[in-house]
Amino acid sequence: MKKSKIVVVVMLVVLLASMMSACGQKAADDTIKIGYIGALSGDTAVWGQAGLNGMLLTAKEINEAGGILGKQVEVIGLDGRGDPTDSVNAFRRLVTEEKVIAVIGTNFSSCNIAMAPIADELKVPLIATAASNPKVTVDENGVLHPYSFRIGFIDPFQGQVLANLASNELKAKTAGIIYDIGSDYSTGLSQYFEDQFVKNGGTVVVKVEAHSGDNDFRAQLSKIAEAKPDVLLVPWIYKDVALIANQARELGITVPLLGGDGWDSPELITMAGPAIEGSYYTSQPSFANPITKPYYDAYMKEYDGLVPETEALFGHDGLYWIKDALERAGEATPAALRDALENTTQFDGLMGSMSIDPATHNPAKPASVYTFTNGERVWYGDFK
Amino acid sequence: MIWQQIVNGISVGSIYALMATGYALIYSLLGFSNWAHGDIAMVGAYIGFFSVATMHLPWWASLILALLGAGLLSLLSERLAYRRIRQNNSPTMFLMIAAMGLSVALQNFVLVTVGSKFKTYPQILAVKAIQIGDTYIGLIDLISLCITIVVIGILFYLIEKTKFGLAVKSAATNMQVASLLGINVDKYISLVFLLAGSLAGLSGVFLGMKYTVYPQLGNFALKAFIASVFGGLGSVPGAIVGALFIGLMEVFVAGYISSGLRDFFTFALLIGVLVIRPTGLFGKDIQDKA
Repeated sequence: MKKSKIVVVVMLVVLLASMMSACGQKAADDTIKIGYIGALSGDTAVWGQAGLNGMLLTAKEINEAGGILGKQVEVIGLDGRGDPTDSVNAFRRLVTEEKVIAVIGTNFSSCNIAMAPIADELKVPLIATAASNPKVTVDENGVLHPYSFRIGFIDPFQGQVLANLASNELKAKTAGIIYDIGSDYSTGLSQYFEDQFVKNGGTVVVKVEAHSGDNDFRAQLSKIAEAKPDVLLVPWIYKDVALIANQARELGITVPLLGGDGWDSPELITMAGPAIEGSYYTSQPSFANPITKPYYDAYMKEYDGLVPETEALFGHDGLYWIKDALERAGEATPAALRDALENTTQFDGLMGSMSIDPATHNPAKPASVYTFTNGERVWYGDFK
Repeated sequence: MIWQQIVNGISVGSIYALMATGYALIYSLLGFSNWAHGDIAMVGAYIGFFSVATMHLPWWASLILALLGAGLLSLLSERLAYRRIRQNNSPTMFLMIAAMGLSVALQNFVLVTVGSKFKTYPQILAVKAIQIGDTYIGLIDLISLCITIVVIGILFYLIEKTKFGLAVKSAATNMQVASLLGINVDKYISLVFLLAGSLAGLSGVFLGMKYTVYPQLGNFALKAFIASVFGGLGSVPGAIVGALFIGLMEVFVAGYISSGLRDFFTFALLIGVLVIRPTGLFGKDIQDKA
């Protein structure tokens, strides 16, 4: 009795689903389905939603211009909640149920490190956005995940750029570090910074750990204030950066703060206010570049004045990169797409020109450095 | 640095103290830990935030609004949930489960209505610090500490010197006898919830001003709960001493040992207290009350 009820319900759902998809799109053969995974809910949903919005807008643009290989593009977004398990489940669903030929996302290294083996198993290319840990595309032993790619640069590169900025531009001899002990991103970036900074002849005079969600960092910052470093590395996500910046200023720490792409949100200026003045961070090339203006305007128009986060650019470049690769491959299959992505020698997106290293699947591309003056984020320069 | 760490510890500890006294007040009367207490503080933080950011009220007015709002919410929670459970003569455990439910409900209500974004209070009080030697004392910390001392002073006056305090103390000792002697126990329980909620609301605004406001802000209350266990469940002076102790211990562990081990020390203390001296520093025999 119960079983038959379930069967009826399932049949109804399937029927409804097929009716809905039937009226939404033409037959499956005429469309190329691309998935997107990001945090569409929770603390970090600002990024996930921007990525998906960016892709939907780009798909519309591509479709209006004739699609890819004569087929229409359909973007399907699923919520990975910024959580590795949820992201893996979302990836499996996109591949097995939605039959996507590629997935873009996420911006979290932890999620992509978990999804990479699944992409290899299901043989569908996965393109990470801002996920910057080296292990996103190669495993522990340095063996390539053949189906994992990324658009953004990697943490070691970001750490190097920050250390060189501290030594060469800010003439710092000593540095302090406060890092998030619970985050691969933060511990990794600290290490890469430290390696390069020491190589440049500098000294890390104080290195303290804390947890995201602690809210009060003054015990650790008091230790830093005592060591008086020339710069302070804060490789955290913007909400913690805002707290750390305010508390550091309150404890008399006036030196520039340095950070990575976790700082990249318009919210940072609102939350940190004057405490963030004179600080620097590296990030993926963003909307600061004038060539992004038409896309920025289109986004604002499409989403009623919503200011796009950089993740929207990843959605844009990711989709155009897939288009570029599919057109080079001449057929819309995951395997052909994978080969074409791997052999990218030049792709010009809104985030700059990039080529792919076939051995690591890491792109060669510039990093932008930003600073804050008079309550505005200012583009400081691009560094390779 | 040691003075700076003491300042940091007192600043954190005084907020724990505001929360911990609320736990203690409610525990002393009803013998259960109100798990929704932190979430009431969170709602207080949001009330304060909106009155400053949207209604552009001065900070002291927002403080009063948050205090009243959180107090009324706490009162309401007692009327709607806890009172019925008490009147049914259900086990104390039921009260705790209801409180957990309320906690989740409040968090989700805020998630749905306000959203998950982190909010920062507009800088009504500039990020300024008073420098004494090498030690910096934040302006917000100083103001919040002064207000906390005044409020806790008023609380002690209420408990020790007024008819209200006498009634609450007698109800805490034995509710049936108090009721037989003509004390309207329900009324005093309501008043205690109002008081505890107001304290929570106040601590919520301080938390919001110092840090940020978000739906999970109430999780902070776990530390205050540990403080009230350490000080002796149901004891208001114990809760205050426990809160200051935990605040200081946390900054010293983070500053001199390892911040990774900070929570380890706090929870080890909790287990230690429960094993060695379950009544805490100032607690009376808790077995009777359970």
